[in-house]
Amino acid sequence: MPPDPTPALSLRGLTKEFGTFRAVDKVDLDIPAGEIFALLGPNGAGKTTLISCITGLSRPTGGTAHVFGHDTRHDFRTTRRLIGLVPQEIAFDPFFTPHESLLIQMGLMGVKPDPDHADELLRRIALDHKRDAYTRNLSGGMKRRLLVAKALVHRPRILFLDEPTAGVDVELRRDLWGEVRRLRDAGTTIILTTHYLEEAEELADRIGVIRDGRLILVEKKRSLMERLGRCSVRLRPETTAPALDSLPFPAAELEDGQIEATWSTPDDLQRILQQAAQHFPIASIEVLQARLEDIFVSLVGHNAPQDRD
Amino acid sequence: MQPPTHTLQPIERQPWSPIGLRALFAKEVRRFAKVWLQTVFSPLITTSLYFLVFGVALGTRMGEIHGVPYIRFVIPGLMMLAMISNAFLNCSSSLFQSRINGTITDILVSPLGTAELLGAFVGAGVLRGLIVGSLVWLVAAFFVSPDIHHAGWMLYFSVTVCLSFAMLGLAVACLAQKYDHLAIVPSFVLTPMTFLGGVFYSIDMLPEPWRSVSLANPMLYMVNGLRYGLVGSSDVPILTAALAVLLLVTASTTAAAWLLARGRNLRT
Ligand SMILES: Nc1ncnc2c1ncn2[C@@H]1O[C@H](COP(=O)(O)OP(=O)(O)O)[C@@H](O)[C@H]1O
Ligand SMILES: [Mg+2]
Repeated sequence: MPPDPTPALSLRGLTKEFGTFRAVDKVDLDIPAGEIFALLGPNGAGKTTLISCITGLSRPTGGTAHVFGHDTRHDFRTTRRLIGLVPQEIAFDPFFTPHESLLIQMGLMGVKPDPDHADELLRRIALDHKRDAYTRNLSGGMKRRLLVAKALVHRPRILFLDEPTAGVDVELRRDLWGEVRRLRDAGTTIILTTHYLEEAEELADRIGVIRDGRLILVEKKRSLMERLGRCSVRLRPETTAPALDSLPFPAAELEDGQIEATWSTPDDLQRILQQAAQHFPIASIEVLQARLEDIFVSLVGHNAPQDRD
Repeated sequence: MQPPTHTLQPIERQPWSPIGLRALFAKEVRRFAKVWLQTVFSPLITTSLYFLVFGVALGTRMGEIHGVPYIRFVIPGLMMLAMISNAFLNCSSSLFQSRINGTITDILVSPLGTAELLGAFVGAGVLRGLIVGSLVWLVAAFFVSPDIHHAGWMLYFSVTVCLSFAMLGLAVACLAQKYDHLAIVPSFVLTPMTFLGGVFYSIDMLPEPWRSVSLANPMLYMVNGLRYGLVGSSDVPILTAALAVLLLVTASTTAAAWLLARGRNLRT
């Protein structure tokens, strides 16, 4: 089957002004169907506002957004049926149980309420034992999982996750990542914003960096990391350090006597290790990989992660 | 494998969906039905008390107004008070609360357009108004044998009044910035206007200029219209009353639809 040429999401000059303040500034972006796209940016960069302009929570003041070729403004009934949103803030109607909430949301999204589908979604987020509990009695993590299920009731083609793992424990984060991959494997396009660079590193095919409402960079994660990432390897000699200029690769000696060399591809790394082993006996090896975080800091100029745990 | 979840939403143009409208209406009805003690039963107690005090206790000293025993005379006004406040409150509190606690997101991301939102919210508000209004009438029927002079006009005024105030409730919920704002309208506008609109007296009992001033009060036409439907007596011509209420429906619908569509406080 040839790939569908219509992008899942297409933004042209998308702009949102609050009074004279531009929260989103002329954003152009195409996201092909089936991609996991991570939108990175410091707090207040405009991630939530950008998503809101596409999902219907906010009205853009300029530009256009198309979802599978349909205009989100003039054809909102079509586009909203294709979009699922896991919002940043947790909000629930205390009147309804998880099962009821899912059924109601199905109806609101315009699909026939299907109790079996609601049960299946609850099973997938491991909340079937809370099917008929009061929503207000769920833990924070359970509420967040229910939020994900609610976004999936109408089997959306594009799923927006706005900081889905902010403030959740490690286990739940792993579960959510697993669910995101499963959804992608089923053909869902995923757009997530995150504070946790580890999350983008782990999941994303492509990364966009937003700062002051402007999309300053969009690139494949792999090429971004190869282009900007500085990887190094530290070797501790068994005895004394060899003369640096006797080595066939550029290297430096650290204060504690370790030899440090930089590499960019795994082949590089392998060559360095082999050559080093021929020149001196190695006591220990420490491989330092490029972290998206370092790249991010160099791009945005300050630390993004606000509440790392 | 979970085959059913793997079928994604088809990419095709969607017309407006009656499923969504029905779902929101049902959700709104369940919202007040789940707390029926507070939403349906408590206004019933309040109006029963009014009825006991003004109708039964004081009414015996009031004689007749326009040939109608006082206890019968106040029934339409009390029903009107109950319908107005319940239709108004249901819409205003539901929409405002969802704005405040963030659950409005569920609606804003849905494919529901302004017309569907209006229809569902107002439909539930009207239903609650009519339920409480009917209960008040049943309580009244318990004290004095019930009687309906003209069922058509009774229905007309009940429905149009609930409709107007459900619309106004939505409009206020769109505009309000805090809970206080929601209370302003019922306590500073609705209740005084209803009381002055002839719930407990005929404006013929007022001296000029107050009698003429009262004619500018829209509530007067509602109360008298419903009074005509129930007991056959009215201070104003029935067609004038019908027209006045129709005007109010139009104005309140326009306001609510405009605010909901523009919705600065809904969609930022
Ligand atoms: N309703 C609003 N009114 C005025 N300014 C807003 C509103 N919503 C967001 N902003 C501003 O827009 C900018 C972007 O916010 P947001 O999109 O929430 O950032 P992020 O999600 O990247 O942290 C912030 O400076 C924020 O203060
Ligand atoms: Mg945000």
